[in-house]
Amino acid sequence: MLQVKNVHKSFDDLDVLKGVEFRVDKGEVVAILGPSGSGKTTLLRCISFLERAEQGEILFDEYQYDMTKVTPKQIREMRMHMGFVFQSFNLFRNMTALRNVMEGLVTARKIPKAEAERTAYEMLQKVGMADRADYYPDQLSGGQQQRVAIARAMAPGPRVLLFDEPTSALDPELTGEVLDVMKKLAYEGTTMVVVTHEMGFAREAANRIVFMEGGVVVEEGRAKDFFENPKEERTRQFLQRVLENRV
Amino acid sequence: MTQRLAEILISSFTKILIPGIRVTIPLTILSFAFSLVLALLLALFQVADVPVLKQFSQIYIWIFRGTPLLVQLFIIFFGLPSLGIMLEAFPSAVIAFGMNLAAYNAEVIRAAILAVPKGQTEAAYLVGLSYPQLMARVVIPQAFPIAFPSLFNNLISLVKDTSLASSITVVELFTTAQQIAARTFEPFALYCEAAVIYLIFCTVLTWIQAAVEKKLVWEHKESTGRKKPILG
Repeated sequence: MLQVKNVHKSFDDLDVLKGVEFRVDKGEVVAILGPSGSGKTTLLRCISFLERAEQGEILFDEYQYDMTKVTPKQIREMRMHMGFVFQSFNLFRNMTALRNVMEGLVTARKIPKAEAERTAYEMLQKVGMADRADYYPDQLSGGQQQRVAIARAMAPGPRVLLFDEPTSALDPELTGEVLDVMKKLAYEGTTMVVVTHEMGFAREAANRIVFMEGGVVVEEGRAKDFFENPKEERTRQFLQRVLENRV
Repeated sequence: MTQRLAEILISSFTKILIPGIRVTIPLTILSFAFSLVLALLLALFQVADVPVLKQFSQIYIWIFRGTPLLVQLFIIFFGLPSLGIMLEAFPSAVIAFGMNLAAYNAEVIRAAILAVPKGQTEAAYLVGLSYPQLMARVVIPQAFPIAFPSLFNNLISLVKDTSLASSITVVELFTTAQQIAARTFEPFALYCEAAVIYLIFCTVLTWIQAAVEKKLVWEHKESTGRKKPILG
């Protein structure tokens, strides 16, 4: 459903992505793991065109483009079918939780207000935030803000949800409530790509794991195989280190 | 002597106040409104990185901040007629004050726009907003409360700067005070009286600023009486 090929990206003279191949199929949950600086987040940002790849191809259902030549209009069309959840939530601070969720529907997609409000409420209910619908982001905890942000990303019914380290900015106690929502979405068959450091989540909710390091995909495979029988030496080292450091 | 002075002060108070209300205040409001429209454009050209227009904004701000307001006023009123452009004194003043202040307000607005966290811009694009929608719905509503105190500061400066219009024959508050001072030979008293009237205008503005600022922070809107949840 969504696939990128041979993605290259560098910042100044640092090569962050060196020819990455990545795909996610409909209904699949893919976790992208890897140490800091491995290019996971950059990959996600290139897929959503927050960063412009220097080379690469994107195949997203009917949209098939050279990533370097895509026009702003084409980017906007593709984004209409993507949901993105940021590490730092990035809720619109001048809007209530409900309005945050409605914004993509009313302003971007010209859906009538009443209908958008109904959808937005449903989404907030889904993430357990309906009772905070008229709160402003500054009145919500990090975990609550992230759940609203997930509702906002889901509201337009995107084909794929992209998560960029959604729990990295949260206190450990608040991580659980966000992961629970994500697991629920995963079990409902939402197509998800999750860049994360949460091994527990990856193991439990992901169908497939992509392990990146140094700007390349080192190993990928079914979640069970990945954790129980990692093929690459580098993957074994990584897993050992994160499992040892577990809190 | 002191009784004569008291009479002069009392009778001149309304004589100075009336042009203050009829000329100084409209001159201030019109100039400020003009400056805001121009400043918003100049700021957006820069933030949006529009080629050519961005450089135009920078040059505009460089020139209008780098030359005296009085000189700008004279160029427009006394200088332009030699190029065949004749303007009345009042519109000349509105144009000069508006164009001058626009340079300052543009910088205030630009800084306020840049103060809105960039993450929200990315989020806006990813929920499908276009650049104009992003600006109108997310950035400007948040930049406004940030810019407001500085813009208001410039407004208060402008009230007093309008006295420069007396030098291009606009009959405003200060011109009137000058005329009465010349007639009565009481410059000290009359100019102090003019100063007091300016002070009254600015005091009222200060009150307005405080009242508006209280309402500007959106977290306080609609949420009065609700306790803020304790954050972790």
